[in-house]
Amino acid sequence: MSRGGYLRGLAILALALMFIGAVLSVHWPSPPKDFDQTNETPTNQDVGNAMFGQGTNPGYGLVMLLVGVLLLVALLGGIFLAKEEKEEDEI
Amino acid sequence: MIPLEYWLVLSSLMLAIGAYGVLSRKNAIVVLMSIEIMLNAANINFVAFSTYYPIVHTGINANGQVFALFSIAIAAAEVAVGLAILLTVYRRYRTIEVDKINILRW
Repeated sequence: MSRGGYLRGLAILALALMFIGAVLSVHWPSPPKDFDQTNETPTNQDVGNAMFGQGTNPGYGLVMLLVGVLLLVALLGGIFLAKEEKEEDEI
Repeated sequence: MIPLEYWLVLSSLMLAIGAYGVLSRKNAIVVLMSIEIMLNAANINFVAFSTYYPIVHTGINANGQVFALFSIAIAAAEVAVGLAILLTVYRRYRTIEVDKINILRW
């Protein structure tokens, strides 16, 4: 490995250690003894309710529409970019 | 229940691994894969914090999962365009090594 590679590795290692140190220096809340995870974990229905809204919660329907438009534009852009250019016939 | 710190440390490691891949690898497809690893690190954070919401507050909040789904969709769009660009660059220059692709350089 080149000297630059070692420097990059050391920089990333320092970054990772800084992240881990920052995470471990915080006192994160831990679940109580009687915490029932099966009843408190979001289900598919909860994810659907959060995404499309339920009751007073408006949800993220408009955002999902915009993401769909983004995916369509990316698809068309990808096809346009990857399209093979035809060479013009020389007469 | 796995403590929240474990997920955050995993996410930090994945971010660092992705950043190392972006900085050190020359193959553009591997760079794209490294960017995906970094995006997945963010997704792990979203889902972890959303799952731990009931410990601090009452009720269930699935917004983290929703944002992770949006993030995955946007990552798919990004990869589609990125791979198409790489395909075009390969046709023109017969290489996808990022050090040798300098067509956007001034």
